[in-house]
Amino acid sequence: MRLTVLTVVCLLLSGMAGAAAYFFPVVVAGVGQTGQTVVVPPSSSVGKTSPTRSAPPGAPFTVLLLGSDDDSKFNADHVLTQSMILVRVEPATRHVTMLSIPRDLWVPLSTGGSAKIDAAYSYGGAAAAIATVERNFHVHIDEYAWIGLKGLIRMIDELGGVDVIVTNPVLDDFYPDDIDVTYLYGYKRVAILPGPQHLDGSHALQYVRSRHDDIQGDFGRSQRQQQVLLALKSKAATLNAANLPDIVNALKGEFKTSMGLDRVRSLLGVASTFDLANVRQIVLLPPTYTSYGQISGQSVILPHWAQILPLVKANFP
Amino acid sequence: MILRRIATILFVPLMVAFGSGVYLYLGTLKSKAVKERVQLPTVTKPSFTLPGTMFLAQGGRLFKLKNGSFTEIGPPGDWSMPTLTPDHTRLVAVLSGKQSSDLYLLDLDGHVIKRLTHDDARIIDANHWAFYPRVTPDGLSVMYSYDSPKVGFRVDFAVWTMPLDGTQSQARRRTDPYWYTGGDIIPIPLPGTALIYVKHSIDQTGVHSQLWYQERTGAIGHAMTALTDDCGSPALSADRTQLAMICSAGKQTAKLEVAPLNGTTLGPARVLLSGGLYASPAWSSDGKALAYFAPTGAAGHFQLWYLALPAVASSASASASTTPSAGTSPSVRASVSPAPSPPLPVQVTQGVDLSATSPPAWF
Repeated sequence: MRLTVLTVVCLLLSGMAGAAAYFFPVVVAGVGQTGQTVVVPPSSSVGKTSPTRSAPPGAPFTVLLLGSDDDSKFNADHVLTQSMILVRVEPATRHVTMLSIPRDLWVPLSTGGSAKIDAAYSYGGAAAAIATVERNFHVHIDEYAWIGLKGLIRMIDELGGVDVIVTNPVLDDFYPDDIDVTYLYGYKRVAILPGPQHLDGSHALQYVRSRHDDIQGDFGRSQRQQQVLLALKSKAATLNAANLPDIVNALKGEFKTSMGLDRVRSLLGVASTFDLANVRQIVLLPPTYTSYGQISGQSVILPHWAQILPLVKANFP
Repeated sequence: MILRRIATILFVPLMVAFGSGVYLYLGTLKSKAVKERVQLPTVTKPSFTLPGTMFLAQGGRLFKLKNGSFTEIGPPGDWSMPTLTPDHTRLVAVLSGKQSSDLYLLDLDGHVIKRLTHDDARIIDANHWAFYPRVTPDGLSVMYSYDSPKVGFRVDFAVWTMPLDGTQSQARRRTDPYWYTGGDIIPIPLPGTALIYVKHSIDQTGVHSQLWYQERTGAIGHAMTALTDDCGSPALSADRTQLAMICSAGKQTAKLEVAPLNGTTLGPARVLLSGGLYASPAWSSDGKALAYFAPTGAAGHFQLWYLALPAVASSASASASTTPSAGTSPSVRASVSPAPSPPLPVQVTQGVDLSATSPPAWF
């Protein structure tokens, strides 16, 4: 009897040790990359206090997705955010709303002064990016997630690529050649041909990053970013917990989020069940929501707040 | 005491083995669908014997599918988009480099007969892309998409034509693309001087692709499909009476449609398949079947499919299109009518990952 009990206990312990070893990278990432505390400065417009309050489990929540150039051209954590997407998830109704914020949008920054909104992160990290978006868009942000260029490539490759219908030839003679190279200021030519296809990480990045031969510039790129996000969602739906260590390894150092593992897990749950028909995609296209302008010699996007704020209020209540 | 030592000696390896077993077992629970192993077509056996001979591409390699087995053809390189000459004795295919791509004339075993274009250059933006070659019905010229002229950031494809036995200096531009849209692609030369191709445009409602008809060089032409249908990947039957195309209507799923070609316009289209990702259709030589690429499972790897066309019902007429066209003349394509009976696609390949943007050549 004693021997049986001892055997069971030993096997349980060794099984737990095996499982712990398997999920060790997830635990490390859980400590290092998720649940990032962000102290957002108080905002008069939304009455927020620091730190960021997370929505309770099951309640609708808003995530600010940030994508950056994060190569050696920049100091760590002082990068420009090439992509800012507000995502509202309503777990109960399984509705998702995505709003792309133009990176050249000229706004007052939470850290002081006015600049293109992509500079907010470089001046004050995620807290400044969140505060800047909250104050200007009058929206409450529950969580944020930041991913670097290499992180996006690795994540898509880890998922086995994404399936998209490329809408038109995406050609660029001046695409930044700054990934895994010694000279970071070079260019290369890229051509993503149209039609239904399977894109690996580097081609998916080219698709969402290229903007030079798009008459809509950054707005066209924003639409492609949302498209790939939805394709990623479809892929994520096929994952299970056993895939997490590989995903975490792929994202090592390239991903940060305020979400805890519980929220990440529930997000994956939502991803596996919601329908693309329940996704609303918003891009702040000119001339209704924005216009082109020049400030201090810079090409900028000027916001039309009278049109933007009602739109945000309706979709990010 | 001795018993304890024996138990310890037995337990330690047992625990290590069990713990390792749990670790390995968890690894087996990973979703395999997302990283499915891809095989070379030559090591697979198609589950259906396609009539005739087909040339297609996977991962930069060209393959010939004949009598139910694959053979790799062509020298090493990043090859794609094989297309046949009208007499079915030679191929024109694309060889891509890092910054450019060129057209090559090959025999049916993939041996290079002639390099047709020279698009590589030392200065990055002096390079060019050449894609989607199609030989004219008289066999004398090749039409293709070429990114010239380029100005600054603007790099758009236009349709160009050059003599098959000539040089690139004799190439002439056929179409005038909308700027900063990606341009005009996939030319389908018709007898005489006429041409069907895919034209891209971008407006407030999004990015659009339309099939376009051009009577001769320099003519503006007209749209054959509605702006919001977002049709592309045209494939013309051998008798030039039917046109297959992929339409997505701005969505992330596609429809495989077939419409009769009535001279310069398209008749009512039949939707053969919808709700999936269908790519690069090609006609059988008798015009009674289509081959196309579509992914299977969550891995998203594109397989070859075969679809015998259902007979056309006499009541397949449809109401006139109400969707405005971006063309200079109204769209003459009627609205889509459903197929009389749903055709059943047959999956030809399994475990491969065929290049979905590289239309196959089939005769």
